[in-house]
Amino acid sequence: MSNKTGTVMVVGGGIAGLTAAWELTRQNIHVELVEKSCFLGGHSIGFTCKASDKCQQCGACSVEEMLASVVNEPLINVHLRTEVKNLEKTDTFKVSLEKSSVQVEDGKVIKGFSVHNSPLYVAGKDCADDDLPSGAVKIDDMGSTAEIEVDAVVVATGFSPFDPNIKSTYGYGKWKNLITGMELENILRENTFAVRPSDGKIPEKIAFIQCVGSRDERLGNLWCSQVCCAYAMRMAGAIKYKDSNADISIFYIDIQNTGKEFPVFYEKIKSDVRFVRTIPVDIYPLENDRLTLRHMVEENGTPDFEEFDLVVLSVGIMPNEDTDKISKVFNIALNEDGFLDDNAAGTSGVFVAGTASGPQGIADTIASSGRTVYETMKYLGVIK
Amino acid sequence: MISEGKIAEKSMDMIEININKDVLVVGAGFAGLDSAAKIAAQGYKVVFACKDAELPDSGDEFKKFVESGMVEIMTNTSLDDFSGVTGDFRATLAKGNERIKKNFGAVVAAPKYSFEPLNADYGVSLNGKVISQTRMEEILADPEEKEKLKAGDGAVFAFFNGLARELDPCSTERALRSILALQDIENCTAYMYAGNVKVASRGVERLFTEARNKGLVCFKPQEIPVVEQNDDYVKIIIQDPVIRKDIELDPDYLVIDELMNPGQENIETAVNLRIDADLDGFLPSNNVHRFPVNSNRDGIFVAYSPNDAANVALRVKELLGDGIKKVPMDRGVVDEKRCTICLTCYRCCPHGAIFWDNGAAVISTVACQGCGICASECPMDAIQIGTFSDDDLNENIDKAVVSAENDSPKILAFCCKNSAFEAAGAAEKFGIAMPAGFKMIKVPCAGKVDVELVMRALVDGADGVMVAACHEGNCKAEKGNIYAKWRVNEISRRLEAMGMDKNKVIFTNIASNMAHEFADKVNDFALKLKS
Repeated sequence: MSNKTGTVMVVGGGIAGLTAAWELTRQNIHVELVEKSCFLGGHSIGFTCKASDKCQQCGACSVEEMLASVVNEPLINVHLRTEVKNLEKTDTFKVSLEKSSVQVEDGKVIKGFSVHNSPLYVAGKDCADDDLPSGAVKIDDMGSTAEIEVDAVVVATGFSPFDPNIKSTYGYGKWKNLITGMELENILRENTFAVRPSDGKIPEKIAFIQCVGSRDERLGNLWCSQVCCAYAMRMAGAIKYKDSNADISIFYIDIQNTGKEFPVFYEKIKSDVRFVRTIPVDIYPLENDRLTLRHMVEENGTPDFEEFDLVVLSVGIMPNEDTDKISKVFNIALNEDGFLDDNAAGTSGVFVAGTASGPQGIADTIASSGRTVYETMKYLGVIK
Repeated sequence: MISEGKIAEKSMDMIEININKDVLVVGAGFAGLDSAAKIAAQGYKVVFACKDAELPDSGDEFKKFVESGMVEIMTNTSLDDFSGVTGDFRATLAKGNERIKKNFGAVVAAPKYSFEPLNADYGVSLNGKVISQTRMEEILADPEEKEKLKAGDGAVFAFFNGLARELDPCSTERALRSILALQDIENCTAYMYAGNVKVASRGVERLFTEARNKGLVCFKPQEIPVVEQNDDYVKIIIQDPVIRKDIELDPDYLVIDELMNPGQENIETAVNLRIDADLDGFLPSNNVHRFPVNSNRDGIFVAYSPNDAANVALRVKELLGDGIKKVPMDRGVVDEKRCTICLTCYRCCPHGAIFWDNGAAVISTVACQGCGICASECPMDAIQIGTFSDDDLNENIDKAVVSAENDSPKILAFCCKNSAFEAAGAAEKFGIAMPAGFKMIKVPCAGKVDVELVMRALVDGADGVMVAACHEGNCKAEKGNIYAKWRVNEISRRLEAMGMDKNKVIFTNIASNMAHEFADKVNDFALKLKS
């Protein structure tokens, strides 16, 4: 891989940034990949496989594969726990990198989800060297402060999941067995089975509540997050496949498609899972860390209470909590939903990829990141 | 410990092969012209062939490439015959009675699809009052017809959307855009009868909110509405579950939703190019490894959207480069003396990488992905996979079984390098407990694991053999896992016939990112073998 044709900085190491970085190297472009956290992979590297004996096309394994490709690619230089402090445009871009403020709790060691995370372990302050797993790196030793020069920038800073505390009637954080969809992803990846955080036991009755934070006019969130129906249904299907006793309900407004062959998928999942067309109003704790949901019964419009062992909030995709800062540093306007405006970029040499510009699933993120790379190459003059 | 049984992939001898740099784009679907222009922009000559007599408005960029000769347009043209392999595809294009032979390095399939009104689902026929979504859009686009709507006392429109089957955000967006346009016309009102309102596309929820704020009433009936219809009258009846009464509406127009229909052109394209389609008839198969534009054949890409066109351009450039491709010399090699051209390999190759020449099958080094399905299926044992030859695999099986700890069941797992091998490696690195007698053999695809390899492991002294594959629908070689499953079933049958425990050999699916699940499966197997 010689005759390098330019250097591009990719900001964000989630599936959008990984895809963009990888695709750029396919075109012999050198990449400086800057990631704020200690690990590459973003949110989606913690996602579980949602297959029964058949693949359900969730794309979690594609993230794993993309990460493996990126870390083995010599044209990509990775800066973990690093942020862009300043960007100055001349003919090229002069970039100041700084250590990000991401911390690990004192005395704690955190682990990456993927075997391709390097380092795999990051230790907080006050960790004795002898206790550290092999290859562990201390948090203070991570981060770049380099000044680099690049020809173009791809901003792939991703999203922040909706903070369920905002929906205070659900009591997230107060009840142990009330978790988010992302937390369930991680539980399934690490435990194979769904387990209750309170006691590690396998729950029998599970509820998913859709549209937590999305499609919410009161909150001003006038978008569908595009991924929650898919992850809820796929995880419900995976749980049911491994434990036929699981009794799963999905509370919803409108079920959204998962991708190709949706009608077939939906028919199958309807036979495994109960669908209830209403969004629960509030959640109360019961004995033994069970939870009761209050909701309207669609058939007659009366309120009803129903008990569950585990309740999963399908939290949506919100603009990255650092969006204001990102918008300023990279000089990118925001769209009406508060995400980065990907139409505004282009001639400036700063491009947006993935969920930084709005909700999308893994498959769409891979496709749109490819398009961003195409536009970047056009800017670089690699193509006419 | 586990790693002892691994095969180090040999470094392969590489050769340089000249490949054709021309590209065929076939089909005038939405992304066809866009793909052609973007590929031409990379400096590759494109032949754009479609059945249509005329092209839709193609934009200035496309015209520029046509004028410069980078894009050659062949209208009224279909693909009559298609053969060859990646980098050297041979197409016969039919234009009237003419047959034109051309060679290409890569092919882009951009078949058209159509929108089919779903009136039959509701038991109604289209007439002046019951109209399709397409007809609705024509009315709104025609100033005269639009003026007529304004002239009267206004009109009531009812939109059906996804009531009888699951549609997509595209259909919702079309309905909402029409509704918003109608709401701008004085005295026009709109109602929507929807199943699942599909809003999972950028901006659609905003349109839905805007339309409702402007007076759209959206019903989500539990049953498909009853529609009464004659020439100048249409009535819609639904039951409201809360008030338990029928709600009746007799709109001036009932607008029927439309389904994206792949139609014949998609299927013909799939058959001609020997690429897979999904259950709905769209290309390619529903397999994550095809994201976003790949097919089961390297060098044949699929494009439906603007994102696809950009990705196709990247893939084409990566593949064709400057026309010289460096490829491993012996990914798959046929022993000409043994080959009887039975064509088993040709039929089972998921990548369309095999052809025949001079009385023997030939495996294209460019197109071959090295999965090894052909090697396992060949009745003459005439095929070897360069980095995973039978000799190497046998040697590794022998070594692995010998080195496995004796006091725990000796388990040999054949692990697909794309999934199980990754998961097992992660389990090891994460320090997840596994039986001491566990060893693995890396294979290019579970489809490479044949009866002989498994039997050899048992004869060598393995207590149990596991064949670990990707999940169905996730195989890079499309069906390698299915071949593996069949073979394990066959082995179990043989073991039983020999009076042995058929459960000594198991087949399992695992994803690359599921280290804990893989360890669970191995530990379960060990427990079963012990009992």
